[in-house]
Amino acid sequence: MSLPATPRNVIVVAGAMALLLALVVLVSLSMGAVHLPLSGVWRALASRGGNSEAAVIVLEIRLPRILLAILVGAALSVAGTGLQALLRNPLADPYVLGISSGAAVGAILALWIGGRVAAASPLAAFIGAVLTMVWVYLLGRRGGRLASYTLILAGVITASFLSAVILFMLTLLSTRDVRGIAFWLMGDLSVAPLTELRILAPAIILAIAGLYVFAKDLNVLLLGAEEAAHLGVNVGRVEMGVYILASLLTGIAVSASGAIGYLGLLVPHLGRMLVGNDHRMLLPTAAFGGAILLVLSDTLARTALAPAELPVGAVTAVAGAPVFIYLLRKTAG
Amino acid sequence: MGKGEIHGRLSGTNSQGRRRVLTCVLAAMLSILLPAAASPRIVKDQTGRMVNVPEKPQRLVSLAPNITEIVYALGLGDELVGDTDYCDFPPQAKDKPHVGTMVNPSLERIVALKPDLALGTPEANRRETADQLERLGIPVYGVTASTLEGTLASIEDLGKILGHEAEAKNLVAQMQARIDRVEKPLEGQSKPKVLFVVWYRPLITVGPKTFIADVIRAAGGIPIGEDLKGEWPRLTLEELLPENPDVILLPKTESFSPSLEEFQSLPGWKDLRAVKERRMFFVSESIMRPGPRLVDALEELAAILHPRRP
Repeated sequence: MSLPATPRNVIVVAGAMALLLALVVLVSLSMGAVHLPLSGVWRALASRGGNSEAAVIVLEIRLPRILLAILVGAALSVAGTGLQALLRNPLADPYVLGISSGAAVGAILALWIGGRVAAASPLAAFIGAVLTMVWVYLLGRRGGRLASYTLILAGVITASFLSAVILFMLTLLSTRDVRGIAFWLMGDLSVAPLTELRILAPAIILAIAGLYVFAKDLNVLLLGAEEAAHLGVNVGRVEMGVYILASLLTGIAVSASGAIGYLGLLVPHLGRMLVGNDHRMLLPTAAFGGAILLVLSDTLARTALAPAELPVGAVTAVAGAPVFIYLLRKTAG
Repeated sequence: MGKGEIHGRLSGTNSQGRRRVLTCVLAAMLSILLPAAASPRIVKDQTGRMVNVPEKPQRLVSLAPNITEIVYALGLGDELVGDTDYCDFPPQAKDKPHVGTMVNPSLERIVALKPDLALGTPEANRRETADQLERLGIPVYGVTASTLEGTLASIEDLGKILGHEAEAKNLVAQMQARIDRVEKPLEGQSKPKVLFVVWYRPLITVGPKTFIADVIRAAGGIPIGEDLKGEWPRLTLEELLPENPDVILLPKTESFSPSLEEFQSLPGWKDLRAVKERRMFFVSESIMRPGPRLVDALEELAAILHPRRP
């Protein structure tokens, strides 16, 4: 299905998805390892505080997780959409360029050094992501420009190398630290205090908005770099802008919650099935779609085997695989 | 008194008056601060964190099986309102509300139990869990033990902060007596080399600084791998063969029960003295828990390593 991306249509679609997200959030707030009656959840939300354990559970445990899931889900999905356009490759995902491995190395290094540096491991992870972004750019550019072919190769090589470094460091860390890192490597939405969210939210929203500025250019870029240049697109600037913004979105997301897979790969495709290839419509769809999917995955992760919590990265993978297979067969047939 | 004198007193224009005012102010400040300092108190736990422990904790959550055992042994079974899915001793612990796994307990379940103190150990729990619980207003007290003595110290420490110091001292004295009864006859005896197998494919053993290694030493054995690093170091068969342990110990757990015959057919293993002489033994799981039953494990081990003791 392909909806013409008129401003009215975009607003209608975005509005509908926002409503769906709100519904999903309300449902997720009322689900968890502890059974809370709906009235209790309402009261907790309405009173915005108080010391009842329902209020603590809803406002201080579930709500930050859900908010983080919205931000990370949107960030990874939009980054994936941008990268698939930039690299003209439907298999591209936010991790193919090595950003998540770079973030992991940063976090593990912080833990290794230990002490107060360890406490700042999200920041160390972000620094690792940014350094990797710069490195892959320097490695993958050709003639002063980003060439999708060499960029992918540079990214894949860097990701493999960094993964090996991670494994090496894991063997040297004490068992206790490995346990902590393993959760981070599998994705963990539970470690975000509200104060951290106050920094993450504007950063992610700004970066997504920034990518949206390039939406029309991304449509043209899909035709090919030369064709786009002929049509008046400043290819160099667009490629650089999309690369930086997509990498930043990935770096922020991974620093906050570890490497949650499949979203960045799947959601753009799901979005294309729903609303077509026009990025002016696709980007907001991917953002909301990713948010909805990750909130649902996280709710499933913390209720399926309660009180045990599944790592959310595992749930997105297990849930994502059948969806992906279905998509594959539908587009092939 | 005339107005002038009162003014003089209040404004402290004479030094006597000034000192009196100062004393009054100081006394007022102290009397405000003191009750706050009396309860709850801020103590340093065994991992070095500063914890806000309530005066007499009434609702405890245990985040590790060995802590659950200690809590019951101190007579605080009724005060325990929640434990992990793996807390199986004493049997009553299985009926307590569960909060999940040690590595990733459900914060919601813990909060719903309204504990005033959570007890954890860095050997099983993550630092992030402790931080998250603190942020939710639940203090977390950590214990840790890397030796037999350390386990006794943990029990005493928990007894102190939980207000059951007498029971703790009693229990520790009993445990120490049993330890002495094991160690004394073994002085001067030859000590067999012991390999403790945590996992065999690949071979993982215990590091020299773990409490398991310490129990082996107390039972009159020499744990192999004195220069290995870490808590659960990997050992290649190449490194194992020259060590040639006299005895091989395997913990008897539900998930890990290879048959002894299996080992006799494994390459490299079958050349070991311990395998050839069939000196391979299962030991009960309590050796993996730094708690009151560690002494049971010690006695069991001593009987295996030195069977001809009186």
